[in-house]
Amino acid sequence: MTTQGTALVVDDSAVNRLMLARRLETLGLEVLQAENGLEALDVLAARPGAVDVVVLDVLMPELDGYETLAAMKGTEATRHIPVLVVSSVEELDSVVRCIELGASDYLPKPINASILAARINASLAAKRLHDVEQALNRTIERQKEELSRFLSPQVAALVSSPDGEQLLAGHRREITVAFCDLRGFTAFAERADPEELMTLLSQYHRMMGEAITEHEGTLEHFAGDGVMVFFNDPIPQDDHVERSVRMAVAMRDRFAELAELWRHRGYELGFGVGIAVGHATLGRIGFDGRHDYGAIGNVTILASRLSSQAQAGQILLSPQAQAMLEELVDSEPVGELTLKGLTQPVLASNVVGIR
Amino acid sequence: MPEADVPVLDHEVLDEVLESTGNDIDFVKELIDTYLADAPAQLEDMAAAMEADNAASLVRPAHTLKSSSATVGAMRLSAVARELEMAGRSGLLEPSAREMLAEAQAESAAAAEAIGAWLARASAE
Repeated sequence: MTTQGTALVVDDSAVNRLMLARRLETLGLEVLQAENGLEALDVLAARPGAVDVVVLDVLMPELDGYETLAAMKGTEATRHIPVLVVSSVEELDSVVRCIELGASDYLPKPINASILAARINASLAAKRLHDVEQALNRTIERQKEELSRFLSPQVAALVSSPDGEQLLAGHRREITVAFCDLRGFTAFAERADPEELMTLLSQYHRMMGEAITEHEGTLEHFAGDGVMVFFNDPIPQDDHVERSVRMAVAMRDRFAELAELWRHRGYELGFGVGIAVGHATLGRIGFDGRHDYGAIGNVTILASRLSSQAQAGQILLSPQAQAMLEELVDSEPVGELTLKGLTQPVLASNVVGIR
Repeated sequence: MPEADVPVLDHEVLDEVLESTGNDIDFVKELIDTYLADAPAQLEDMAAAMEADNAASLVRPAHTLKSSSATVGAMRLSAVARELEMAGRSGLLEPSAREMLAEAQAESAAAAEAIGAWLARASAE
């Protein structure tokens, strides 16, 4: 017979323990026994997660039923185990006190087999539900953790948030997009051996990743040397333009060290960024079986085109981004740029530094 | 005596235990042996409490005896033990409490005898 669960019988009377254990075994439970509250707590501590229901006498030596209940309910590992208090009808006061302390129900003495069966089954059902819920929560937590390795942490949190579905379905919002890529990467990729290529990418991605996380940007994707990050979505950020430029400057500073390292190995690499502000449509983009959380709009195209026009070490701002950052950023105009796919030339500025 | 109309042994209790365990007479024997081994110890603890004039320490052995006696159907002993438990809880051990203890000791012997008779009959069936 498969066991229905494990009960812990706590009673100082050997006769009552014997009788209760037998009745519980008849119901298909495995039974552990303790003579008093202290022993009961020892059993619970020694076998974490093993006990599904506790049948507890009130009046016991060493540690009585009240103290045992209080200790169980005060401990995370035992808080959710249902407790049935065994009590005679004339001790209803103590039953009330036990229920206030967290007991699930009481069993009138002398024990009636049908009442015992009903209360035990109710307790086991509650415990099972709780266990399923715990297991589900653990699965969700684990999935979230896994998800956050593949997705931006903000997007991973969004997927499992209550209004996630609505946001994933698509919405419009003003965002700042920063598009970064490397000058000289194609030439590098042609000459470098695969190990060198992977080493560089891993160093570069780690460096970019740290800066993105520090500034709480949402990473849309890595594509070789191209990195697209946006701000103000899915988590709103009032200072999204500022964050993007601070991130870009941090990346540029750190990349200088990396470029120096690779220069010694004979490779010339430069870092360029394009930053633009504007409205985009954000949400789930893709097809059944493979979706990304993405941003669509002129703003992403503009940032990408600015990035490809940026010289090594340049952070190019769109006119709107520059206007919004006037107070914060020292910039120099780089003139009108004709960008692929855009009908009007764009007056871009390079970020010299942050004031 | 409030327990005068209470039977020494309520046969139905042990009958039900036997029936509900699928006529497992060995289990019922074990239950009875455990009871007969434990009851004297509780009576001794109660006597010691009485000797020390310690009402509080009378409560637990009296309570346990009340409860375990009821489990095997020794209803009259259970009733006397209940009186003793209440006397202990009152905090005062009146001379009547000593009489009750003597009565409990007598009832314990009577219960043991009645239980023995029940067991002999049940084993024979």
